Amino acid sequence: MAISSDSSKQPLITKTLIKCMSCDYSIERDFQEGDFVPKLVGTCPKDGGKLYIAGIYAIKLQPQQAKR
Amino acid sequence: MLFDIFNIVAMAQGLGGSSSSEFLLTTILYIVFMGFIVASFFPGFQQKMQIGFLSRDVEKNLYMIEGYLKDSKSMAEKLLKDKNFPEPQQFINKVMERFVIDPVNIEPTDIISRMKLLLRANEDTVREMITKYSPNIDPMTRSQIEISAEVVNALNMIFKIIRHYLLMAKKLNSIMIMYQLQMVAPIYVKLAEAYARAQKVFLQGIPVGDGLGPLVASRFLMNINDKWVPSKDIIAGTMEFEGRRLIVVKAEGPMATVGTPGEAVQNIIEKEGSKVSRIITVDAALKLEGEDTGSIAEGMGVAMGDPGPEKIAIERVATKYNIPIDAVIVKMSMEEAITEMRKEVYDSADKVVNYVKDLIRERTKPGDSVVLVGVGNTAGIAQ
Repeated sequence: MAISSDSSKQPLITKTLIKCMSCDYSIERDFQEGDFVPKLVGTCPKDGGKLYIAGIYAIKLQPQQAKR
Repeated sequence: MLFDIFNIVAMAQGLGGSSSSEFLLTTILYIVFMGFIVASFFPGFQQKMQIGFLSRDVEKNLYMIEGYLKDSKSMAEKLLKDKNFPEPQQFINKVMERFVIDPVNIEPTDIISRMKLLLRANEDTVREMITKYSPNIDPMTRSQIEISAEVVNALNMIFKIIRHYLLMAKKLNSIMIMYQLQMVAPIYVKLAEAYARAQKVFLQGIPVGDGLGPLVASRFLMNINDKWVPSKDIIAGTMEFEGRRLIVVKAEGPMATVGTPGEAVQNIIEKEGSKVSRIITVDAALKLEGEDTGSIAEGMGVAMGDPGPEKIAIERVATKYNIPIDAVIVKMSMEEAITEMRKEVYDSADKVVNYVKDLIRERTKPGDSVVLVGVGNTAGIAQ
């Protein structure tokens, strides 16, 4: 097994995941200041249920995204 | 070998043309080179050279740490100015040099209560300083100022300690101190970089990796309407889970705080008594190099990165009522714990929720009471 240390520093982008409380609808958008878990952020376009922020997390930017 | 060098120099002279300036330059170089060879035989010369090279390396790292400290200070100053804080510079200088003296440990009796007093009093004093300067400050801004103060204080401490040993090594001409410093300085640069990034993350209200415990707790608490405050900066709620009474505890968010979970659990169990059959603690834990970020592990004991008072409060009350304590941890690096929560860690939160549910089903029976504690900094995570 090859063991290597991952010292590369990839830039991160913070995303906010919004989910519906009553169905499987979910949408991911860029983080906006004022977001927090589990803030209510409107109604579901699918079934009219309450939408809430399920998570805020950072993902690694792909190299082509980072260049932009 | 010396003859070879003479030959090379002689050949260089022969090839280089016959102008007098070239001859002069070659001669000077030759003298310098020979001088260097001769000097290297004198005791201490090599050591001084090495100290010179090593100190340059350490200085480079020290400048980087100083850069992070300056950035952090200006960020804190900007925050205070934006919130109309009078004399921000004076406040930063005050909190930057703050310290807490460890309690006397040669006599360990009551050391925990003494430590608790000192830590709590320090937190309260900084909080009072903020509210004195700005009486109508909202809790969110106050927690951001508190975190900024802690970051500036930590970076200042790292910078001053590295600088202290650098100057001492130079003063004492000690190559051993310099070697050790040169080896550890990059680790502290990494730590300083993580602190500086953490400040930016906290100021934006983004959850950090250490928020894993509160995130798990919030998954349960978001369905509970009746919540109460069992201790300072802590929120708790009770729900029914498959015939068991589940009491969920976390720091009160979305402010950046870890609260006082130990005291909260102590108060809850003292009230509930022997009805509680299990305590489950969920926290982020530092991984070893080679381990995967977001991997879950389970064990026994209080999962909590606390200097002592909060952790021991749970251990003591659990011992009093003979309650087993389970620990569920999610692994991550130090940097990942204090900066933006990574997707891998977020994904683990839902797995931990199911893990905890399974654990309750397996180790308790209907009618029991269980206390679930989501330990960690709750920035960006409410309930």
